Amino acid sequence: MNLHIFIGFQQMMGEVAIALLPLVGLFLFFQFFFLKLSYRKLIDIAVGFILTFLGLSFFLQGVHIGFLPIGQMIGVDLGSIEFVWLLIPIGFILGFFAAYAEPAVQVLIHQVEKASGGYIPQKVLLYTVSIGVGISVALSMIRILLGISLWYFILPGYIIALIMVKYSSKAFASIAFDSGGVATGPMTATFILAMFVGIASVTEGRDPLLDGFGMVALVALAPILSVLTLGILYSRKEKEQYAQETKAKAHRHDR
Amino acid sequence: MDNIKDTTIEVIQSVLPITIVITILQFTLIWLPTETFLQFLIGVVLVGFGLILFLLGVNIGLLPVGEMIGSALSKTKSIWLIVIFGFLLGVVVTIAEPDVRVLSTQVDQVSNGGIPKSVLILAVALGVGLFVALSMIRIVFSIPITYILAGGYGIIFLLAAFTPTTFVPLSFDSGGVTTGPLTVPFIMALGVGTASVLKGKSASQDGFGLVALASIGPIISVLILGVIYG
Repeated sequence: MNLHIFIGFQQMMGEVAIALLPLVGLFLFFQFFFLKLSYRKLIDIAVGFILTFLGLSFFLQGVHIGFLPIGQMIGVDLGSIEFVWLLIPIGFILGFFAAYAEPAVQVLIHQVEKASGGYIPQKVLLYTVSIGVGISVALSMIRILLGISLWYFILPGYIIALIMVKYSSKAFASIAFDSGGVATGPMTATFILAMFVGIASVTEGRDPLLDGFGMVALVALAPILSVLTLGILYSRKEKEQYAQETKAKAHRHDR
Repeated sequence: MDNIKDTTIEVIQSVLPITIVITILQFTLIWLPTETFLQFLIGVVLVGFGLILFLLGVNIGLLPVGEMIGSALSKTKSIWLIVIFGFLLGVVVTIAEPDVRVLSTQVDQVSNGGIPKSVLILAVALGVGLFVALSMIRIVFSIPITYILAGGYGIIFLLAAFTPTTFVPLSFDSGGVTTGPLTVPFIMALGVGTASVLKGKSASQDGFGLVALASIGPIISVLILGVIYG
């Protein structure tokens, strides 16, 4: 067995230390001039920073020795299977389950339920977002296989989103645009992206840089469009309610 | 203790589904050598363990810091201090953001060093910083968010005409990864803090939209990077 686990870990820790240093510096500046926190609170924060440092080091180490190389290998294997169209359903499944279980999506669902006063059931949004992300990853597969420019997806996507904002209820619109990141969890931007680069590198006529990337952007669009769609449904219901109320009032006036 | 348990469950939930799908693929379609597949599983364990520690650290140390800095800044009532430090915080947090690091590592590798990691991270960080600063200005002067969104995307489409095509997917992906596990809570904390002290009444309304704006910044800055490189 020839497994690499901690190769280059020291170097990684050095890199992470440099990445966190500016944040620590800024905090210390505020501590001296504005915050002046007590000794006890400082210890809490120091523990937090140390945990962040260790966590980031292990996370990136795992990405380096596992996700990036193996993700690309899997991509290369998948890209050279006989029935490449299989990649499209595989993409859908990967995206669907990634979103379905993602804790950040759960948080979003809570927010939306609160904003709609329970009118949008949690399950509905969960399935809308998960199917949306599934479609996004599947579309990215199609993009690689056929070599379609990202523009043909991104441009209509955002134009539709901006038009939908006009018809969606206000509370939903603000939640929608902030929700772009919920589905681009730690697996999507690392492992699935590496897989896509692998697939693009073995598909004839594709440039990994041009065709492999762009998937994260499409995945980010899915929750935005999902929330806006539900927002339009909800604003319709609001209007109906309003119409009913005014009708009822008019009725009373008649009498 | 509850915190540790919740975080652990959360991380397992977000790592497990894809691991299962890949495991199924491994034994049906891919058949990687056992050694290589084990290497993948070790990666999963390291990533999961790292994420748990990282999220705990963010909750214990970094988030409270973000909130405290947000409210300390707002109390100064100085627009310029808020804007300048909003910019600095955006930059500093993005430099530490895990997803941004991973994306730029991959780009560095795929482009054979043509787009170096440090350059991309810096460009993304400056983009986020600039738009966090802009969001602060927006909160202070209550500029409608749709103006900035429409303006931002307008600039993006304009820039895209002048940049090499390889930079387009890259720039949009950079926008996607900035909304990672560190930037989002940190920037939200800062924005809600600032909005609540400065405006009082419509605090939550103004605090929203920060993340959306923060992800436009890197798209623009990476496109500009492309114009320079091209």
